[in-house]
Amino acid sequence: MTEEPYRWLEAITNRREYIEDQLTPGLPVVALSADPGILFLTIKTSTPKLFEIYDHLALGSLGHPADIEKVRQAAIDAAHLEGFARSPNDVTARRLVSYNLAPALKNAFEQIFAAPLLFRGILGELGSTPADDFLWRLDYDGSFSAQSGIELAHGMVISGPRHVGKDWLAQAPKPMLERHDLKAAAFSALRLLVWAKLRGTKDQGIAFADIPTNVPALKEKLGAEGLEVALLDRSWLDRTIRYRIPTPDELGL
Amino acid sequence: MSFLGSRADGQADALTTGNGDFSELLRLSDNRPTADAFRAPAAHALTSAATQIEATTVLSFHFKDGVLIAGDRRATAGNIIMYDRADKVIDLDHDTIIAIAGSPAVAFEMARTLQTSFQYYRRSQLQALSLSAKVRALGKLIKDNLPMTLQGVGTVVPILAARDPHHQPDPTLFFYDALGAQFQAVDFAVSGSGSPAARSVLQWINRWSGQPTSQRDEKQAVQLALQLLDVAAESDSATGGVDRRSHVFPQVKLLTREGLRSVSVETLRECFTSLEAAQK
Repeated sequence: MTEEPYRWLEAITNRREYIEDQLTPGLPVVALSADPGILFLTIKTSTPKLFEIYDHLALGSLGHPADIEKVRQAAIDAAHLEGFARSPNDVTARRLVSYNLAPALKNAFEQIFAAPLLFRGILGELGSTPADDFLWRLDYDGSFSAQSGIELAHGMVISGPRHVGKDWLAQAPKPMLERHDLKAAAFSALRLLVWAKLRGTKDQGIAFADIPTNVPALKEKLGAEGLEVALLDRSWLDRTIRYRIPTPDELGL
Repeated sequence: MSFLGSRADGQADALTTGNGDFSELLRLSDNRPTADAFRAPAAHALTSAATQIEATTVLSFHFKDGVLIAGDRRATAGNIIMYDRADKVIDLDHDTIIAIAGSPAVAFEMARTLQTSFQYYRRSQLQALSLSAKVRALGKLIKDNLPMTLQGVGTVVPILAARDPHHQPDPTLFFYDALGAQFQAVDFAVSGSGSPAARSVLQWINRWSGQPTSQRDEKQAVQLALQLLDVAAESDSATGGVDRRSHVFPQVKLLTREGLRSVSVETLRECFTSLEAAQK
């Protein structure tokens, strides 16, 4: 089959359609760089979707749990090898994504005789100030994009339906999210999560401005049992472990 | 790196151990820091300089609130003082401290390997390494270092203080022999060339003083550690003790039920000054 180029293209197209179809039920994951750190928020399910990768790196993901596990493990391996061989300061999300994860994901995607990886993720890198943070969106086909600087105020979202992330990027004017403290960031992230969930399911035309502005209404819209939350804490920059799970009281949720 | 690649030995993923073993990951990636260098040909006859392999004093003992672990700051090569601010007491994680005596190059590398290994395991397996596994991990590194130990140039004889906050919150103390055997210390552990003096004093204190270390409070424990290192420095030229002229104090760390804490230089200075004042 692969000897004939058009058949290869057809196979890749079919593979992409299959993966997108399999990913569609995936619940959204939001990452927001705020003054206290990088906050990850998603809807709680039976398997975790937010993970600590390295001192200053965390991953939010969706897809098949076994495939998430492969990518997560690869990221942890690469980060720790680099941190050990050089130094923790040399472990950067940019290098991890560009030279490790993305090529491996692309390679896996193009191996059309092997089962595909069902994965979509956000890799967050905590800097010493919010201006030094990075968020990287990474997809099953090895494609990736970064968010930094003023763009970080927009937040980043991934969801099973691929259009949700694109729709958020295409918002004009781009909504700027409140993120001066943890409660404000958590509230902003929750609004974005609700928007992404509605946009991906029943109300594909909903605007961000139409999302409720109080927590009970947001939770009602979410209709979920709970939230999974993680924070790369900027006040812990002098520690090896900066990843923690904030309490509901801290978040005001 | 490949998610689908295969190694020559037929295993699935090129750089994924899947069991949280960082040493195995280093081996798979051909990054093991001590691999071939430690497999050098037969040892040469030991020189007098090469036998100065434990030139230091590190000590630890139980006190009322937990465990104290301390070390002098001097680093030597033969009879030359190379450095007087060496850090020989190193945090491996929030609940584990190592005090190293022996070849600095190997010892620091062991500490760094353990630091990374503990975090790697916790992150990859989503649970912390158990206390016994941490204790054994150090023993395994020492055992793997056997060729260097036999050559007399890479011996490491450390002390480990550790606790498991969930299952064993009270700190425990371990010492090792040069081949990697581990022993739990009931009351104290010492290592290094200056340790015989400290050991003698500690034995006397625990048997005859009427106030064993386990009954001493934090200030008394810190003062005792400074006294012990000072005594060790009197008889061992490779031990720095308390450098009164340069105001370089030993490292002293405490591991209690509340966690790990370094005693500040200011506190050490106060403790030592009050000891000296009491002698006048």
